[in-house]
Amino acid sequence: MFKNHIKIAWRSLRKQPFFTFLNTFGLAIGMAGALLISLYIHDELSFDKTFADAERIYRIDTDIKFGGAEMRSAEAAAPMAAAMQKDFSQVESTVRFRDRGSLLLRKTGTEANTKELRVSFADSTLFDFFGIELLVGDANTALEQPNTMVLTKTAAEKHFGVDNALGQTMLLNNSDTYTVTGVIDDLPKNSFLREHTVFMAMSGYADAQLINWGSNNYYTFVKLIPSADVADFQEPLEGMLDTYMLPWAQQHFPGITKKSFIEAGNYLRYHTMALTDIHLYSNRDSEMSANSSIQNIYILSFIGFFLIVLACVNFMNLSTAYSLKRAKEVGVRKTLGSNKMELIRQFLTESGLISFISLLVALILTMVVLPFFNELSGKAVSIPFSNTIFWGVLLLATILLALLSGSYPAFFMSKFNPVKTLKGGAQSSVGGGNIRNTLVVFQFTITVFLIVSTLVVFQQLNYIQSKDLGFSKGQIVLVEDIFAVGDRLASFKEEVLKIGDVKNATISYYLPTPSSRSNSSYFMEGAMTQENAIQMQTWNVDPDYIGTLGMELVAGRNFNKQYATDSTAVIINEATLKVLGMNAEEALGTQISQDIDLERPQFYKVIGVVKDFHYESLRENISALGLFWNQTPGILAAKISPGAYTETLAELENVWETFAPGQPFNYRFMDDSFNTTYEAEQRLSKIFIIFTVLSIFIACLGLFGLAAFNAQKRTKEIGVRKVMGASVSQISYRLTVDFLKLVGIAILISLPLGWYAMDKWLQDFSYRIDIPWWVFLLAALLAVGVAILTVSYQSIKAAIVNPVKSLRSE
Amino acid sequence: MLLQLKNIFKWVNSGGQRIFLLKDINLEVAEGEFISVMGPSGSGKSTLLNVIGMLDTFDEGEYNFLDESVHTLKEKHRSNLYKEYIGFVFQSYHLLDDLTVQENLEMPLLYKKFKGSERKAMVADMLDRFNIVGKKDLFPAQLSGGQQQLVGVARALIANPKLILADEPTGNLNSQQSEEIMELFKKLNQEEGVTIIQVTHSEKNAAYGSRIINLLDGRKV
Repeated sequence: MFKNHIKIAWRSLRKQPFFTFLNTFGLAIGMAGALLISLYIHDELSFDKTFADAERIYRIDTDIKFGGAEMRSAEAAAPMAAAMQKDFSQVESTVRFRDRGSLLLRKTGTEANTKELRVSFADSTLFDFFGIELLVGDANTALEQPNTMVLTKTAAEKHFGVDNALGQTMLLNNSDTYTVTGVIDDLPKNSFLREHTVFMAMSGYADAQLINWGSNNYYTFVKLIPSADVADFQEPLEGMLDTYMLPWAQQHFPGITKKSFIEAGNYLRYHTMALTDIHLYSNRDSEMSANSSIQNIYILSFIGFFLIVLACVNFMNLSTAYSLKRAKEVGVRKTLGSNKMELIRQFLTESGLISFISLLVALILTMVVLPFFNELSGKAVSIPFSNTIFWGVLLLATILLALLSGSYPAFFMSKFNPVKTLKGGAQSSVGGGNIRNTLVVFQFTITVFLIVSTLVVFQQLNYIQSKDLGFSKGQIVLVEDIFAVGDRLASFKEEVLKIGDVKNATISYYLPTPSSRSNSSYFMEGAMTQENAIQMQTWNVDPDYIGTLGMELVAGRNFNKQYATDSTAVIINEATLKVLGMNAEEALGTQISQDIDLERPQFYKVIGVVKDFHYESLRENISALGLFWNQTPGILAAKISPGAYTETLAELENVWETFAPGQPFNYRFMDDSFNTTYEAEQRLSKIFIIFTVLSIFIACLGLFGLAAFNAQKRTKEIGVRKVMGASVSQISYRLTVDFLKLVGIAILISLPLGWYAMDKWLQDFSYRIDIPWWVFLLAALLAVGVAILTVSYQSIKAAIVNPVKSLRSE
Repeated sequence: MLLQLKNIFKWVNSGGQRIFLLKDINLEVAEGEFISVMGPSGSGKSTLLNVIGMLDTFDEGEYNFLDESVHTLKEKHRSNLYKEYIGFVFQSYHLLDDLTVQENLEMPLLYKKFKGSERKAMVADMLDRFNIVGKKDLFPAQLSGGQQQLVGVARALIANPKLILADEPTGNLNSQQSEEIMELFKKLNQEEGVTIIQVTHSEKNAAYGSRIINLLDGRKV
């Protein structure tokens, strides 16, 4: 019987190629979309779970308020790990990382450096702690000795390969010599360590050995013993304020007590963050690697779910619609003795067949678009062909899909009354119009919602990118790793300025795009007490900084080489004025200092106020910032004439070669660097667009099929009306307007939903757009336009048919 | 002279062969005639009626309707012509299921751009004339076959056509209902001077007409 079902199913699908195509194609696209999203989400959820004992590993986070602003750090103090190991019996082992950013690396005796983007000091427990195996070297001793280092395979192969690595010596940043004691495999892409290529022994880093509870610069991980419960951990963790932090503070800020500490509004809280939660739930000031957020996972899950639902709805709609054609078959089968169950089975076989064909098409589609999707999402996901669980889930999902989308049409059709259908009155016996209409409304509600969301995301991104940031990021080239120039910094800058198309240049570590940050507490002269601390960004710059970056002084003056005293001057931003509670005129001439515990503090005099500029993402408010005149290496920012990029870059590289021969010339444009701040949003918006287009497409496929069906069902009516004198345009209008009503209802439902959801999303941004009214108008027009295009083809086709054909006596 | 067909041919090509649906038909119809077209199934009765009603085209010959040469007219003029002068009655009534009796009657007037008040008056008049005022809010499915055809005839008449084309108008009706419809046609023809061309299988119905045309294999016999 089953074989017969399959045979019949196959034939009836072939008999209606248009219907089969719409159904298969719609379903396949929905499935492919959902499959891509599932792979993406699976990858996101798998983060850091590959490490041994991952479920027992926690990171220690610090919330601190000491003076002005609050810090939510993902790092802890240097002595934290040792103290926890000593005091807490639940702690099995610990490991710390101290981030060094990027550095230059070369084999001793060679000239050419490579740039390693992510380097950290790490405790020797690293490998045992995370279960990382060494390809060569001994895991227990590899990072024990000072000035030893472990490379990843990729990093090692740049210089000497894996097999010859042990015992090689390397020069870091052209100065420190390190010995290679091990090589590990490249770290998994789905881990917080994915960017790391080099680990250096923490034992050689002096700061790590100091007992300093005041600064939190160490990513600290603890592994609990299997029987431990992390909840029991919170209380003793809070006790560390009394046991360690306050005694240390009293040495450096005499007279401070717990009471005065708390009364001044200060706090210090430690938290545990599960390793496996970091990627999706942690959003702290100094994350070790860029994290995603669970919110994006939710959004994507919804979209994936919607795609499948849309495709299912299509299937149901088309199937019930086309059942008109099969009413007679049902009638004949029933009179020949088929019972209802048998018919249901027959129709489910058909939907099963379609689902499996769609699955095949979906897999092919997915394989084709996967490379593009990976590029878009910045991932390296692949279809796990050899994974039996994957296939199991896929097959199960497909069967479920077939049942879900096939059951309604099956029950619907199996109920046909054989007497009526055989008499030829099929039109009146096929109902289900209301359900079909509801489903169309539902589809378009989702579609319009997605259109609104996409438009708003785009508006917001556009706003961010075109907002007046308080500085100009155009035509600025950033040359990195200027320290390679050594002590000839000043003459290097002079040479750069001699290049014809370089208008201005400045050197600093600190830029309003992702770069170094340094936050410190300052005190106003005359208010040198802990309660009056001002948390302020401390940026060392040179006098050309404001000019090069096109910032604006609202009061006072820039640094000037004529005044020797300007080395102890500071230019503050407007946000600092707010914290100080002064206007610009009052602030000029006042003095600030960091040195609360010195008898003769070093004061800095405010000589200017710079207009607020955005130096963090627009999700953040602008906070207090001070520019100090200090010659530091770091990044050279050069403003160049528009249109002269290639030549200017070549000349810049020439200068670089003279000053830093053999060192890599790393440059980027500030525009690009700025854009990376919003990479997450940009990706999200691109993903949004793709899936919005997909969902519109699927909804249109369904509408197209339904319009075809509707025109067919109303053949008689169209014929009668034409005989009565209706014109082609009157008929097509009539057929189209019915669908437009449904789309209209969908628009009415989805616009408020869209407004609500996007308003929520925008709350994440400190600087955001008001959702403009035309977004809704545009979304509505788009939906209506697409619907008209889809439906009118069928409507016009139906309207130009000669009524003689349609009214031929039945 | 209401209409004149001269040497009308209509054919279809099937399997390399030309099959004639109408062969050399010549026909003149004067105003006020009541013609019955008879013949076995497939003899071309309905095709002839469709050609006269301008719903279908022909391949050769001339057709003049009220001194307009239909074969040279553009589609749009043709449809204006039949919209104004011709009413159709079908075997299976072809009332629209979703519209009430009243709305069914009103439909042709909508396409002829009558004003709302005029339409109302004309529909009311027609309901009155056919004694179906009480049924004006019913849907076709709620009526008997005879009543449905009554509405069908009323709809065909509502815009005061000069010619009514009826394709087996009683084919789906029982004998009593048939007789009522035929009586109605006769009355319309004699009292109001409406020209009627009907296709029928029944000798009895054919006898209501003033002239009988017999067709066989597309040819007048």
